[in-house]
Amino acid sequence: MNVRQWSRDLGLGIRFAFSGGREGWVRMVLTAVGVGLGVTLLLLTTALPNVLAARDQRGSARQDLTYGAAVPPKGDNTVLVGMSATEWHDKDVRGRLLQPEGPRAPLPPGVDRFPAKGEMVVSPALKELLASDGGKLLRERLPDRIVDTIDEPGLVGSQELAYYAGADDLVASENSSRVVRLTAFGEPHPTTTEQPDPVLILLTLVVFVVLLTPVAVFIAAAVRFGGERRDRRLAALRLVGSDSRMTRRIAAGEALAGALLGLAVGTVFFLIGRQVAGSVEVMGESFFPSYVDPSPALALLVAVAVPAAAVLVTLLAMRGVVVEPLGVVRTAKQARRRLWWRLLLPLAGLGMLYPMIGNGRGHGDFNQYLVIGGVLLLLVGVTALLPWLVEAVVARLGSGAVSWQLAVRRLQLSSGTAARMVNGIAVAVAGAIALQMLFAGVESQYTRSTGRDPQRASMEIDLSDRSQVAVAAREFARTEGVKASVAISSGGFGDRRRDPATSAGITVGDCTALRELAHLPSCRDGDVFLVPGTDDDAAQQALQRPGRHGFIDPTYEGGERGREVAWTVPAGLRKVTARRDALQSSVSGLLLTPSALPARAAPTLYHQVYVRLDPSVPDANEHVRNTAAHVDRLANAWSLSPTLTSVKFTSLRTGLFIGAVCVLALIGASLLVSQLEQLRERRKLLSSLVAFGTRRRTLGLSVLWQTALPIALGLLLASTVGLALGAVLLKMAATPVTVDWASVLSLAGAGAAVVLAVTLLSLPPLIRLMRPEGLRTE
Amino acid sequence: MTPPPGSLLAAENLRKAYGPTVALDGAEFSIHPGEVVAVMGPSGSGKSTLLHCLAGIVPPDSGSITYDGRELAGMSDARRSALRRSEFGFVFQFGQLVPELTCVENVALPLRLNGASRKEAERAALTWMERLEVDGLKGKRPGEVSGGQGQRVAVARALVTGPRVLFADEPTGALDSLNGERVMELLTDAARSTNAAVVLVTHEARVAAYSDREIVVRDGRSRDMERAI
Repeated sequence: MNVRQWSRDLGLGIRFAFSGGREGWVRMVLTAVGVGLGVTLLLLTTALPNVLAARDQRGSARQDLTYGAAVPPKGDNTVLVGMSATEWHDKDVRGRLLQPEGPRAPLPPGVDRFPAKGEMVVSPALKELLASDGGKLLRERLPDRIVDTIDEPGLVGSQELAYYAGADDLVASENSSRVVRLTAFGEPHPTTTEQPDPVLILLTLVVFVVLLTPVAVFIAAAVRFGGERRDRRLAALRLVGSDSRMTRRIAAGEALAGALLGLAVGTVFFLIGRQVAGSVEVMGESFFPSYVDPSPALALLVAVAVPAAAVLVTLLAMRGVVVEPLGVVRTAKQARRRLWWRLLLPLAGLGMLYPMIGNGRGHGDFNQYLVIGGVLLLLVGVTALLPWLVEAVVARLGSGAVSWQLAVRRLQLSSGTAARMVNGIAVAVAGAIALQMLFAGVESQYTRSTGRDPQRASMEIDLSDRSQVAVAAREFARTEGVKASVAISSGGFGDRRRDPATSAGITVGDCTALRELAHLPSCRDGDVFLVPGTDDDAAQQALQRPGRHGFIDPTYEGGERGREVAWTVPAGLRKVTARRDALQSSVSGLLLTPSALPARAAPTLYHQVYVRLDPSVPDANEHVRNTAAHVDRLANAWSLSPTLTSVKFTSLRTGLFIGAVCVLALIGASLLVSQLEQLRERRKLLSSLVAFGTRRRTLGLSVLWQTALPIALGLLLASTVGLALGAVLLKMAATPVTVDWASVLSLAGAGAAVVLAVTLLSLPPLIRLMRPEGLRTE
Repeated sequence: MTPPPGSLLAAENLRKAYGPTVALDGAEFSIHPGEVVAVMGPSGSGKSTLLHCLAGIVPPDSGSITYDGRELAGMSDARRSALRRSEFGFVFQFGQLVPELTCVENVALPLRLNGASRKEAERAALTWMERLEVDGLKGKRPGEVSGGQGQRVAVARALVTGPRVLFADEPTGALDSLNGERVMELLTDAARSTNAAVVLVTHEARVAAYSDREIVVRDGRSRDMERAI
């Protein structure tokens, strides 16, 4: 073997690939589109780290949270920033009020000038939304005049809803994070390296392997489009003196041409996708095209690996084909596929994962290489086992109706082609089942109960204005869609005016509100109750006894001066118990009805309003948010949920979902292309079958069986391997093994839906190919 | 103009064009039961198009085709398909056997399409395979048999339903002369034994020699050689 001979044969193959006339071009286009789709997905994946990094950088550059750092003194280089974020139909709207305190006040990224009071600068997406009919309610909440738009550097995504509004009444306070004073925007402290969670790393690794393996399988299938016609052409080459090795190299050259063209097509698709990515939003996330920038090393790897894989796959595939001269490709019975080495792959995969069983979170590290290798071998094992399984099963199938017989016989003759077609789906489903099991198994570890019961309170509004709670409560009670509302205020009570040694919490609300927190035997305005804390020490118990003197809102060293309102625990104090389903979590301390609180102490309290909504009123929560913005622009209003799931966990699950949809769509496209290719090759036969009276329905059904049989077997194998892999991954995460049958069925159903869609989409071309024109030779 | 008396299949003034290419331009044809008619002519003259029109595979642009006194153009696609399943048989140049099915399954296929059970269809298929001397190939797939054998299997498939008309489009075009002659002998003998009419499209004089009558097609027009004489 020498390089010259290789390059000459590969070059000849490339020439053949482009010189096959219309048929040849069609085949090339199919291959290029197939490979191109795979390359696009790979390039998008290689760009993912940059996408995340770019979003992080943008987020850091506009960071304005001080996390309790000391408030800098007012100066000509400071700006006050009020947090006025809101939500619109479950979508975050990042909002800030800006009040420059001098001519050198820093501007946030993407903003050219400070908006004056009554003006705002908005993101393009928010501008569009506010101008639309659908954004009328939001317009009521954000009535300021739009004077400019936020430029790209000030946004993390093209579809982000964000605004900066002018203000002149902001007051910085160390006791509140609602208003901060800044000398510059941007991350105030260097990012602390967070200890990565081993289970999340495991999930991330498996998500990548699971999503990328089907793409690789798909590319391997795509370079073999048009194989039958190519085999005939190669036979002709043998006739004119090409030996079998030369023939293989020429075939590899043809595949290389397809792969190279596919690379080009993939790059074009990627560039188009990059632009499209700038105008779409997936699961609440949007990007800018500039983010989608593949890492050069990974992009180079794709550029080298795809053509290399094409050559390798063709050479391997050609080993099973005997190309002879005289235009004959031997299609006699092939040797039966052997099981033993196919079983070795998944067994080796299990072997690699076995040492990490039981590691869990407590025992730290998972060896990344073993995880990737193990999962990869198990999934690749599916692609190795499936051809054997399809062959073994279809060999035993009897003949039934003509459509069934045609399909079964076709599968018996070339079960490998059928298995290749569904390998991608099988791998994707196996991986997704395993991941769903893992996600379902560890979900409880990443989800905590908030103690909220949305049946009793649908929304919570935290007010920043300490004095207007009564007004606010009335406004909320009058708001459209609000069934009921209660206001609860809280503050601190210490044993000394300054730096108290012991302190307790005080909660203030009317009897209705306090009944949402504790079981009250009776209640009148002026009553005071005590909910003893489970870990109160003796000093705290003493502080909360009747007759004890103390101070509401004491002053702490280093903080702003409190109001230090003297107060005595009243004699009529009654002990009560907290409700298990209290509106707020961990209720303890003194509960006061409004008259029991000294008037001077009222402005020291933090206020929350809880509202219960009428579900039959559309956009009731948006009306509540409008009221919140009306009574207090810095109010936080959010919907209550019984549980809260880790953001990273949710992002990963979202990532899996988006990835799985892309992969299934890609494989569906590949199935369709492959199906059309097969139909086109059989055009003459189909026409002749119709000529002697075969019903179109019979041929249509035979196509369905031909796809459905291998898919059913593929899904069966995928479910088995997926469940096994899921069980192993759960054991690795030291979590009890449970099967989430709903997700197994839904994923298998998704696979089946792809088949059905492919069959339906291939029917119109099938009907066209069955026309008598197929019999014409001239 | 009315079809010749006693004709089973007749066509008058057939016109058919594929885009700008005129394939048939006023062609005429008729055949009687048990008769073998060769349709001859050079490549691209319209022979195969005439066969496809006569068999109801392709509708002509104009003109009339009557089969057993019924106008083919007046029939629905389903009815014409049913006619092809039950009363017509076909042999093509390359056999067009279904590569996945065994030879006996291929021969049995038209019967199965007509609703016969597998056993019944394959029994009848074997009888025809014996007559065409290919019963030894019953378990083999088309890819495993020679061209001549495959063509004889195709003839058996065409005759298994007991058709009244057998359409053969260049049935020996892919065979050597020895194999071609054997196929023609078997085809014509079998057709005559069942009184089936044979429309034989060919450009070879030695194949046309097996016919009772010859029609020459040139530039889409037909000429009955017997009548011309």
